[in-house]
Amino acid sequence: MKPSTVNIKLAPSRFKHQVPKYKVTRSDACINCGTCAKTCPYGVHERVEGHNKIKPPISYKCIGFECQNKDFYCVAKCPQKALSLSLNPMYATLGDPRWTADMITGTWIMAETGAPPERKDLEYNIGNSGGGFDKLRFKFPAHPKKVNKSEISTEIPLNRRNDGRPNVVISTPVYGGGMSFGSVSLPTMTGKAHNAANWNTFTCTGEGGFPENLQPYNDHVITQVATGLFGVREETIQRVKIVEFKYAQGAKPGLGGHLLGEKNTESVAKMREAVKGTSLFSPFPFHSVYSIEDHKKHIDWIKEINPHALVSVKVSTPNDVDMVAVGSYYAGAHIIHIDGGYGGTGAAPDIAKKNIAMPIEYAITKVHNFLKDEGVRDGITLIASGGIRTAHDLVKAICLGADGAVIGTAELVSLECVRCGNCESGRGCARGIASTDSELADLFNEGWATQRLTNMYNAWNVQLVDILQQFGMKSVRELVGRTDLLRHIDYSKETESP
Amino acid sequence: MPKKYHIHPKATPLELEYIYKFKIVRGENCINCGKCTKVCIYQAHKRSEADPRIMADPNTAVCRNCFRCIQECPRGALEKSLEKVFASTGGAYWKPDMLLTLYKQAEDGAVPVSGAGYRGPFTGSGFDGMWTDMSEIVRPTRDGIHGREYINTSIDLGRKLNHLVFSPEGQLLSKVPDTVEISLPIVFDMPAEKLSPHIKLAMVRAAAELNTFVIMPVADITADFEKHGDNIIPRLTPAEIDGHKEIIKKARVVAVDCDSAVLSGLATLQEKIKKIGNALIVIRVPAVKEVEYTVAKLAHDGAEIIHIVADYRGQELNSPAGAGSRHLKDIIRSVHQRLVEDKLRDEVVIMASGGVALAEHVAKAMLCGADLAAIDLPLMVALGGRIYEEQQQILVLPEQLSKIPGPVITQRMVNLMGAWHSQILEMMGAMGIREARRLRGESGRAIFFEEIDRDTFGKLFLK
Repeated sequence: MKPSTVNIKLAPSRFKHQVPKYKVTRSDACINCGTCAKTCPYGVHERVEGHNKIKPPISYKCIGFECQNKDFYCVAKCPQKALSLSLNPMYATLGDPRWTADMITGTWIMAETGAPPERKDLEYNIGNSGGGFDKLRFKFPAHPKKVNKSEISTEIPLNRRNDGRPNVVISTPVYGGGMSFGSVSLPTMTGKAHNAANWNTFTCTGEGGFPENLQPYNDHVITQVATGLFGVREETIQRVKIVEFKYAQGAKPGLGGHLLGEKNTESVAKMREAVKGTSLFSPFPFHSVYSIEDHKKHIDWIKEINPHALVSVKVSTPNDVDMVAVGSYYAGAHIIHIDGGYGGTGAAPDIAKKNIAMPIEYAITKVHNFLKDEGVRDGITLIASGGIRTAHDLVKAICLGADGAVIGTAELVSLECVRCGNCESGRGCARGIASTDSELADLFNEGWATQRLTNMYNAWNVQLVDILQQFGMKSVRELVGRTDLLRHIDYSKETESP
Repeated sequence: MPKKYHIHPKATPLELEYIYKFKIVRGENCINCGKCTKVCIYQAHKRSEADPRIMADPNTAVCRNCFRCIQECPRGALEKSLEKVFASTGGAYWKPDMLLTLYKQAEDGAVPVSGAGYRGPFTGSGFDGMWTDMSEIVRPTRDGIHGREYINTSIDLGRKLNHLVFSPEGQLLSKVPDTVEISLPIVFDMPAEKLSPHIKLAMVRAAAELNTFVIMPVADITADFEKHGDNIIPRLTPAEIDGHKEIIKKARVVAVDCDSAVLSGLATLQEKIKKIGNALIVIRVPAVKEVEYTVAKLAHDGAEIIHIVADYRGQELNSPAGAGSRHLKDIIRSVHQRLVEDKLRDEVVIMASGGVALAEHVAKAMLCGADLAAIDLPLMVALGGRIYEEQQQILVLPEQLSKIPGPVITQRMVNLMGAWHSQILEMMGAMGIREARRLRGESGRAIFFEEIDRDTFGKLFLK
């Protein structure tokens, strides 16, 4: 259920045009009669009073081939047969097999309206990657237990250790991934934090310090302690409810980070407590951790500095991720956060993104089962990230054994990221999301970013509640590890559920 | 510690047109307002130099697909699509994106880095069906890529002893065979297409700079190549041996095509060559069905280096495409397994080629069981070559290539290998392996799709 702090408001695109899925073409046979402008309820055609000619069609407003059955279908209505409808070749330049054009468009609609798209022509829940989540489907019971949507809880507790530390509860089983100061623009960072406060969940600073602008949202910020220890101070650890150790990142597991000297500007250097203009290495791994005992020492250190904080341990997904997870439990972590190989990044070698460490789908299953076999599953919160693109991915991840998920790319797509992948090059993100360039970082403000994110989180929550209702469940916590509610399109024999 | 190995990349653009991914077309309803010039941070849109009142055609070569001009044009006058040439180059194996990244690596010698997560399919055939492991906390090597701790990519060519034999007095009785060390687990092979002598010469120079070899048909080794003999592996048929004794005598390594006579009389052949000089001998074996039996026999009979050659897409030769045709990855795994079972694996060097298109393929081939890889087509892509997966012609080199100076060609190949070397270091560093020799057959540090998928999803959903 959404907290009272969530207000859904329309947050339209900041651009004049959307990326069109269809192309409406008007041929020379057009006599500018204006029939199409009168018939189309979506505003594809516009006939301005006093102009000789009708305006060129605005393709992105067209709902596509499903219009064929409507009585206002412009192609059929045109007396001159001058109109035609086709798939727009431009659409093929948007997205990729993991994040399809439909998925990006669907996320944009969610961020704009706060609800899942009403359009039937967008497959926004399943990507085209041909594996993992994209091969899993839900098995809804024919006669689920009747549950009212208002009774359904999407809350999850983050402290399951019963160790006297606060029981932090988030209202939706999702929180925002770490994106450091410098890797994203300030409106992106504060928008993420503001949204986390709205949704009673969290966002994470990433490695690179805790900017002053985040202070109003202290209770919803996870501060990250990563291998370079940049920007880590006693007061940043003391002011938050959750501290996260980042051992590795799914997109670049086993590799250190490297901030080029020229990117280490005055404000970045100040935040990181480093010297301006010097190259900064975030090594891999923690140079003070050679064993699980060292790891425990790390966790004890944080617990000592902040007696009320929960400790999260973020690792990537090697073969022995299950053992790392159990080790983290015994070392005293509250949250084990596994970040799969296909996760997002501001910059990583392509070779690492594609090849190193396993996809999250396998890792969740491995870790969940290993923790269960060890008898400690109920004592730790398992959070999955790195490839959770949609509400359906989230539900599938929970069915496989996670308690909740961390998302990053979905948040950025809500802010109109097109996943062009140029976050780091030159002046940074051309769309102003992941850039600190003085001009580019000014393309939108915190208010707009917050509303888009709050809307998207709402659309996900609506879908989550809807799925829980179809399963006849009253809480998302009942879903954890319920692989029996999933089917795999290659392995499972049952017929496709609707 | 071994002497550090460095490759020195230098930005080396090729003054040729290569494939572009995107095409932007300015519609007739453009009002020349210039908004696109303001919003594009890559300078794809400029005013016409001849007439500043109108906009020039978009320069799509620099387009990075950010959609800003498309979305901000007040008239919606710009249209973008995938460039036709891009879509029609390459194929299912040599994807056009792969050609672009190789071309770029040859230009700057840098590891390709980008933002946002992985964007490809979940898994795929061949090398795409595996991931490499990493070490989360404890690992023997750190920061390899930043050069703070040395990761060695050298490997040895030549036969090795299974064990040493000593006399009761402690005297070493075994004769330790000679080996040749190369600094990269990669040698260059010649593509099937005819190359002009100046490209071949540039290739040999690149191999010399990288401390590796070019495998070159013996007939191509003219007087021009004589002073580069140290970096050439002359390749010949058994019948050509007698006619090329001078070349064999000077060579450090020679390669002989395997035929039935070689298979049945390897000892005689090796003896014959060893009488001429000290060259190590590579036996070149086509990757046909059941090649593991051929390899095992050769290894048993004392072969020093065995080169398994699959087709340019890594597919088994002479077997009908699709049904049962294995990819190089699976061939190597099977060969390696067979040699391990025969207790011969440590004695012989396995070189694999065919379909090795990216740096990751080298590391993956080694994890599957190869000691090193041989490559040909990626070096041609470095020179602006386009690959087509068609029967008639696989490789098309740019016509203007004959005008490109040799040093440029050499540098681009060095750059490409520099980028590959750095990428192999990334993978090794993540795995915590600091010796390329130790990569070979470390399948425990690989994650194979079919195995992990069956172990997780198969277990859950196959009932």
